[in-house]
Amino acid sequence: MIDTQLLISGVIFGLSLGSIYFLLAIGLSLCFGLMRIISLDQLLYYSFGAYMAYTVGLATGSFWFGVAAGTVVAGLISFIVERLIFRRIYERDPTFSMITSFGLLIGGIGVIKFFWGVVPRPVEVPTVIQVDVFGTAVPVYRLIVIGFAIVVYVGIWLFLHRTIVGKAIRAAIENVEHVEGLGINVSRLFTITFVIAGALSGLAGGLHAPLIMVDPMMGLETMAFVFMIVIIGGLGSIKGTLISALIVGQVVSVGSIIYAPMAQMAPFVMMLLVLLVRPTGLYGSPLYKR
Amino acid sequence: MTTDASTTISNSEILKVTGLSAAYGEAKVLFDIDVSVKPGQIVACVGRNGAGKTSLLRSIAGFLNPTAGSVVADARNLVGMKPYDIAKFGVKYVPQDKKVFSDLTVRENLELASYATNDHNWDRVLEFFPKLKQHMDRKAGFMSGGERQMLMIGRATLGSPKVLLIDEPTEGLAPGIVTHLRNVFKELAKMTALLIVEQNLPLVCAIADRVYAIKDGRVVAEVSDKDAITFDACEQYL
Amino acid sequence: MIALLCGLSLVLPLPFMNEVVIFTIYVVGCNFMIGRLGYISFGQPAYLAIGAYSTAFYLFYFGSNPLVGILVGVLGGLIGSLLIGPFFVRLRSDYFAMVNLALAVVVFYLTEKVLVSITQGDNGLWFMTQMTSTPVLDLTIPSQFLAFGIIVTFFVFAFYKYLDGTIYGACCLATKLNEDKLQFIGYSNFSIRFLGFVIANTTTALAGAMYAVYLGFVSPEMGSPSRAAEPIIVTLLGGVGTLFGPVVGAIAYTGMKDVISNMIGNWELFIGFLLVFIMLVADRGIWGTLEPILARVVFPKSRNTDK
Repeated sequence: MIDTQLLISGVIFGLSLGSIYFLLAIGLSLCFGLMRIISLDQLLYYSFGAYMAYTVGLATGSFWFGVAAGTVVAGLISFIVERLIFRRIYERDPTFSMITSFGLLIGGIGVIKFFWGVVPRPVEVPTVIQVDVFGTAVPVYRLIVIGFAIVVYVGIWLFLHRTIVGKAIRAAIENVEHVEGLGINVSRLFTITFVIAGALSGLAGGLHAPLIMVDPMMGLETMAFVFMIVIIGGLGSIKGTLISALIVGQVVSVGSIIYAPMAQMAPFVMMLLVLLVRPTGLYGSPLYKR
Repeated sequence: MTTDASTTISNSEILKVTGLSAAYGEAKVLFDIDVSVKPGQIVACVGRNGAGKTSLLRSIAGFLNPTAGSVVADARNLVGMKPYDIAKFGVKYVPQDKKVFSDLTVRENLELASYATNDHNWDRVLEFFPKLKQHMDRKAGFMSGGERQMLMIGRATLGSPKVLLIDEPTEGLAPGIVTHLRNVFKELAKMTALLIVEQNLPLVCAIADRVYAIKDGRVVAEVSDKDAITFDACEQYL
Repeated sequence: MIALLCGLSLVLPLPFMNEVVIFTIYVVGCNFMIGRLGYISFGQPAYLAIGAYSTAFYLFYFGSNPLVGILVGVLGGLIGSLLIGPFFVRLRSDYFAMVNLALAVVVFYLTEKVLVSITQGDNGLWFMTQMTSTPVLDLTIPSQFLAFGIIVTFFVFAFYKYLDGTIYGACCLATKLNEDKLQFIGYSNFSIRFLGFVIANTTTALAGAMYAVYLGFVSPEMGSPSRAAEPIIVTLLGGVGTLFGPVVGAIAYTGMKDVISNMIGNWELFIGFLLVFIMLVADRGIWGTLEPILARVVFPKSRNTDK
C-alpha cells in the first residue's frame, strides 16, 4: 500500500499541476474553438509570464507583483501578435496557424535567450507556510495555485454565460458567420479571446515559476502536456479541458509516486487510448471545418 | 424580358447591384449581375440549385468578395466592407441553413441581435412570431425547423434593417408555416425591402413585386410587372 | 537534379554537402505528407530518432557493418510507423499535427531519461571506431559517404517520382482534396493514408540511420522537439508538393544555418521569425516559385520534363 501521507501530498501536487496546465490549456482550447487556430505561441506567453515573475519579482521584492506583471505583459504581447500576425491567417487551415505560431514560439525563445541568457533562473516561493490537510503537511502555495484555477474557471464560466460579449463568443464558437451576419464585430471578439488566452498563459507561467526552474526551453517542455490535455479533452471544449487537465495532473503526480519515468509517459498512452475510441477527444466536436 | 421599368426611377432604389461578378478561388460563380430593390418591395430570385442565387446574396452581404461590379445600398458602396459592418449598416443576410445558436437560449439569441443593433424592442418580433414567446428560455437547438427559421428572421428584423436578404426561407418547412411566413413577409415589406431566394413558386407569385431568374451565374430574365409574375412565367427557369 | 548535387559537391565543402544530402532525404517524407496527404507532421524528429537509434543500437551493441546498420534503421522506422500509424492516420489533420508533436516530445524523453540504461542519455552512443569499412563505397570515409548518399537520394527520388505516377499517387492527392468523394468511388482513406504515412516515415527513418552512420554517434538532441519545425520549414522553403523542392530547400536551409549561426549566433530568433515571415509572405517556396519560370526559360518549347 502507498503511504497515505504520500498519497495526499501527491494528490494535492497533482491538483496544483493540473491547475497550471488548465490555465494554459484553456487558452489554447478557446482559441481553437473560436478562431480555429492552434496557438502554440501561448507557451511563449507562459515563458514570458515566468520570466516577468522572476525579473519584476526580484526588482520589487514581491512575487505577486511579478505574477501580475507577467499576466499583463503576456496579455499585451498577445494583443500585438494577434493584431499583426494572426489577423492575417484566420482564414487558413488550422495547421497553417500551427506552423506560424511554432515559428513565433521558437523566435520568442530566441528573444528570451537574448534578454535573459540560457542559464536557468530560480524563483523563490512567496510563502513557505505549510498547512495541515488530513494529517499531511501541504505547502500553502500549492493550495493558492489551485485557488487561482478555481477562480479562473468560475470567472470564465460567468464571462461566457452572463455577459453579452461572452454569449457572443459562445455563439461564434458555434457559427462565426451567423454572428457576423447579425452585425457583431467578430474581429473584436477574436482579439478579446486571444488576449484573455495570452494573459491566462502568462498567469500560468508566473504561478508555475516557483515550482520549477525558469529557463528558455520551459515552454517547449510543458507543451507536450498541454497538448495531450487539449487532445484528450477535445479541442474547443472548456469542460473537456478542465476534466482532462485534472486527470493528467493526477496521473503525472500520483503516478510518479509509483514509478517516476513512467508517470511522464502515461498521459501519452492515455491520449492514444482516448483517440482510439474517440478520434476527436472526450468532448471534441466531430466537425472538421466550418 | 422587361428591363424598362427598373431603370426609370433608379434614385429611389434601396439596393442596387451593378455588373457584379464573383468567384470561389478559380471557380467563377457570378457573371455581370444587375439586380435592384426598392423600399417596400419584395424581390425574388428564382433558379435551379447551383445557379448562383446563394452566392449572389453572400456577395451582397460581404461573405464573398466580388471580383467586379458594385453593390450600393442607400447611397453607400458595400463592396469591400466587412460582413458585420454591412449587417450593422442595415443589409442583413439570413442564411438558408436554419442554424440558430443551438447552445444559447432563444432569449440569448435575441439578446445578441439586440447587442449588435442596439435595438432592444422585441415587441414586433414577438408579434410576428408569437410562438417564440413560449420558448424564450429553451435552448434554440431544441426547436423545430420552422421555429428556428422564425427565430432567424426575427433576429434579423431587429434594428430596423434597410434590406433583408433571405435565402430559401421555406425550404423543408410545413405548409402551415409557409403560409405564416408569407404573411410575415408582406408585413415586413411595410418597413423594409426584401430580396428573397426562393424555389417555392406559388409563394413567389403571391408576394413578389419583381422576379429575377438566375441561371449559370447570370440573370437570364427579369419580370417586373406584378401581373406578369405567374407560375408559368417563372417555371420555365427552374 | 542529381547532376546538380554532384556539381555542387565539387564546389562546396564536404561536411556541408553530406548535411544537405541527408537533410534532403529527411525532408522528402515530410514533403510527401504535406503535399500529397495534406498532413502536416510536427513529429518528424521522432521518426528521425527512431531510425537513428535503431542503427545505433545495432552498431553499438551487435554488429559493425554500417550498411546493415542503415538497413536495421530503416526496418526500425518501418516497424515504428506500422505500430503508430493505425492510431494516427484516423485523426483530423489538426489533431494529427499536435499528436505528432507530442510523440516527438515523448520519444525525446524516452531517449534522454526513460531508456537511459541502453541509450546512455545525454552522453549519447559513440560507435565511430566500431564501424568496419565496407567494400566499393567505404561509408566511414566522408567523401565516399557522400557518393553513397547521392546514390540513395537518387533512388529515393526515383521512388517518389514513380509513386506520383501511379494510381496510388492520384489517390493520395484525392484524399487530400476530398476524402468523402474518394470513399464514394470505393477507396479506403485509411489504407491510403496509412500506406503514405508508413512510406514517408520510413524515408525519414532512413535519413536518421544515415545521420547515425555519418556522424558515428547519436544523442537525444538529434530528435529534439525544438527542431520539429525544421523539415516543415525546409519543405516550405522548397515549395510544398514539388518533387525537387526538398533539395533546394535543404541547400538553402543548411547554407543559411551555417552563415547565420556564424553571424549572430542566436539561431532560434532567426529561424522562428523566418518561419513566420514565410508563412505570411511566400506561399510557394523557392522551388515552387522558380519552377514555372525555369520551365519557361530552360525548356521554352517542351513542358518541363524534370531532368
